[in-house]
Amino acid sequence: MVFAHGYGCDQNMWRFITPDFEVDHQVVTFDHVGFGHSDLSAYDPVKYNSLHGYAADVVEVMRDLELTDAVFVGHSVSAMIGVLAHAQAPELFGALVMVGPSARYVDDGDYVGGFSRAQIKDLLDNLDANHLGWSAAIAPVIMGNPDRPELAAELTNSFCRTDPDVARQFARVSFLSDNRADLPGVDVPTLVLQCSEDVIAPETAGRYVHEHIPGSTFTQLSATGHCPHLSAPEETTAAIRAWT
Amino acid sequence: MSRTAGSDRRRGEGDRAQLDQLLEDDPADLYENAPCGYLSTLPDGTIVKVNQTLCSWLGRPAERVLRTRLRDLLSVGGQVFHDTHLAPLLRMQGAVREVALDVVRDDGSVLPCLVNAVELRDPEGRPVLVRATLFEATARRRYEREILTAHRAAELSEARSRTLQQVVVQLAGATSVADVAGVVVQQARSALRSRGAALLLVVPGPAGSDGDADGVVRRSELVVARSDGLPAALLDQLATAADGRIALELAEGLRVVVPDERLHGRRPELAAALESAELQALVVVPVSADTRRLGVLLLGQGSSGADDLIDLDEPRDGVLSDGDVDLLWTLGRQAGQALERARLHEETTRQAARSAFLLHAARQMAAAAGVGETVDRLSELAVPRLADVCMLDLVTQHGARRVLARHGDPARQHLVDDLLEWAPPARELPFPARRALAEGRTQWFSAPDDAWLVSVVRDPRELAGVRALELASIVSVPLVAEGRSLGVLTLSADRRRGAFTAADVEVVEQLAHQVSLVLAKAQRYELESRTSHTLQATLLPPHPPAVPGMTVAVRYLAATSGVEIGGDFYDVATLPGDHVAIAVGDVVGHDITAAATMGQLRSVYRALLVEAPAPSAVIDRLQASWPLLGLQRMATALFATLDLPTGLLHVASAGHPPPLLIVDGRAEYLPVAPSRMLGAPPAPAVEWSGVVPPGATLLLYTDGLVESRTSDLDTGLARLQVAAERWAAVGADELCDRLLAELAGAHRADDIALLALTRDA
Repeated sequence: MVFAHGYGCDQNMWRFITPDFEVDHQVVTFDHVGFGHSDLSAYDPVKYNSLHGYAADVVEVMRDLELTDAVFVGHSVSAMIGVLAHAQAPELFGALVMVGPSARYVDDGDYVGGFSRAQIKDLLDNLDANHLGWSAAIAPVIMGNPDRPELAAELTNSFCRTDPDVARQFARVSFLSDNRADLPGVDVPTLVLQCSEDVIAPETAGRYVHEHIPGSTFTQLSATGHCPHLSAPEETTAAIRAWT
Repeated sequence: MSRTAGSDRRRGEGDRAQLDQLLEDDPADLYENAPCGYLSTLPDGTIVKVNQTLCSWLGRPAERVLRTRLRDLLSVGGQVFHDTHLAPLLRMQGAVREVALDVVRDDGSVLPCLVNAVELRDPEGRPVLVRATLFEATARRRYEREILTAHRAAELSEARSRTLQQVVVQLAGATSVADVAGVVVQQARSALRSRGAALLLVVPGPAGSDGDADGVVRRSELVVARSDGLPAALLDQLATAADGRIALELAEGLRVVVPDERLHGRRPELAAALESAELQALVVVPVSADTRRLGVLLLGQGSSGADDLIDLDEPRDGVLSDGDVDLLWTLGRQAGQALERARLHEETTRQAARSAFLLHAARQMAAAAGVGETVDRLSELAVPRLADVCMLDLVTQHGARRVLARHGDPARQHLVDDLLEWAPPARELPFPARRALAEGRTQWFSAPDDAWLVSVVRDPRELAGVRALELASIVSVPLVAEGRSLGVLTLSADRRRGAFTAADVEVVEQLAHQVSLVLAKAQRYELESRTSHTLQATLLPPHPPAVPGMTVAVRYLAATSGVEIGGDFYDVATLPGDHVAIAVGDVVGHDITAAATMGQLRSVYRALLVEAPAPSAVIDRLQASWPLLGLQRMATALFATLDLPTGLLHVASAGHPPPLLIVDGRAEYLPVAPSRMLGAPPAPAVEWSGVVPPGATLLLYTDGLVESRTSDLDTGLARLQVAAERWAAVGADELCDRLLAELAGAHRADDIALLALTRDA
């Protein structure tokens, strides 16, 4: 099983889920480039100006690990990255689990993504104002001292630290992509996990994904918010196990 | 002193009591009225406790805050941040510090806050409660925003510098106009994230071909050097409508054209073209070097970006930031300088190719002998390399004459042949050639439209022919040399080749100049040659008269170099009393002066014959009158009289080789003692007499037959004798031919006169 973190923090978000699956699965977690302990020097603003860039990385990781028939668990925007990665290399994938997916966040005609254009603008502005990121200049110092992990541990909010430029572009790419046309191409068993009262990926968005992926399963969680794997790990784990 | 000290002490004690009281204050009051907002939530975010400070900041009572969720107090961006960062962080590390969030007040206004929070957990590690403090951070956030804005501006400025740096580097490597256009269009487009971009350049156009017969002023045209992502209809609208004046007017400064009411009123086509291209604005940047306006850079600003992301940008109403304006100005100037450099480079390369072509042309034509060959070489040089159709009209004393009409494509040659066929040579020239000849300067017509053709053709049949040629460009250059109009060279390009450029026209002009020089020389030479022919024809010896009882054959061969007549002559005249007078002579030299001297000498000799003098007397008289005659050259000559009934021959020689007598197959030189050459100091002539028997042949000749560069006179005489004996029996005519064939080479340094008289047997 490959767990891909979504917009916000890093692979630590899966910490309450993965122990359960490690019992009977090979579990792979990773940080997208620009997050967590990834190599910041690998960041290419052109490649990552589209979700396809991130999807290519997923395919590369899976090929490198020689995975086949993998269950790809993607949270938030990574659910869509999974869809794109599957399109690039269908042979690697056995199933998709989409946690809080949305194929498009911005409302468009009859489509309800949950955000108006003005709200998305406000959102992107707001995200700019937060300073959880470290600057690219400091990152190599921390990354370059693996023998002194306390350096990283000393930093507050460390799990959600991101280089500000990377965070800004990832936010743009996450919230401004429109991947609705990619959904019908998914031909592996797919589970859509929908949270309650999720302002980021509302039920309309989750339903849309479910309705446009042929043969997909839709499971409504009672967990509220956007991160059921943190706020309700037991329910999330149970929902995935019940489906598989 | 002490009172004062005591009162101070008392006051100090009172303060201490007040401070103690404050410090022992009700913890509830401390919570409620603390200088920061406090709230506690359940793990799902539901607010279960809130202090008064926060309630007053929010502008609503506690009961309207409790049971809502922390998220509900935040702006949309804050909500997302809460869900994607704050809540996950609390779960993962149990605390967050200094997270910036915007709290929305009851009146809708926003209060920027910094939030610290901790998650309280039960012994099993399950979350129980979240405690959060909120600090007002209006000033700090404003300060941070200013830093952020400054940072962004610095980034933008750095991005612009990077763009300019790249532009400078790439332009430095651009050696052609196409390269420069490619760099400028691509860089400008990516810097401004334009929907499309194009570079339009000013090029000098041809003279008016719109039917305005007097419009010879060369107009400037705008042509698209490079276009990337802008629709052709829009470019066409800018470049060609009103002769590109719109684009050039716009390029007076950096302009932003927006399809608004005003544009719809003033330039409806342009506004429509912008709208159909779905462009919000068109940015027009002047491209110039120093004060020379070279063209315009166009940038089409649309509402959607080049990537596959949804674009949130509102239409910007075409407003550029100051930084953008600076960047574009600089880009325009850099592009201008690079264009000039590239043009210089291209011109140098073109000049080299042109020089090579013109040198080749000069060699080809210089090697041509005469007008006809010059015209042939010209046609080979001009089509199809320079043009599709080449016409040459030469001025003659009978008017203009078309001497060349060639199409580069043999399959289309019939089109120009048709045009020639109906237009008799003496008719007036076609319009371009006519005007070039009349005005004495180049006429250049580009993109001749049908209306123009109709207005300039001389005949409806010509119209059909010209239409069939599908001409895109016509250049007529007058041929002028030594102040004389020699004719007109007209080259045309058809639509497949495309219109001539100014550089093409320049090559045509230079080629025409070469043609003029070569033609003038060839014409002069041909005129001299014709004159010489006419004169020489009058000097050539007349055919001898029929002589009773004799067969007479004569031959005259001029030297193979130089003029076609020399100083040799022969003469046969019948005299009263069955006499015939015979003469052969050789004026020194074989040029026109020798020929003239020969002519005079022959006339004087003929005059002398009136008195039928003896041959020696002829020599004496000529010698005597030589100074009076003023003849410029000396001459050798042999004079004879023959009595026809008896065959009695009298011969006298003035320095001339002896005659040969062939009798019964044997040839003998007659022992005529030569006296001095005519023109030498006089000495009495000696006469020889003998008989020419019936059937014998008397052969008279000039030294061209017996003397050559490779053998001396004696050898020549011996060869003549042998040859004459070999051909003794063939008759006078054939004898002459045989002797010439055997003794006179194909390349003769001297003239030859040959005279054979055979007495009937």
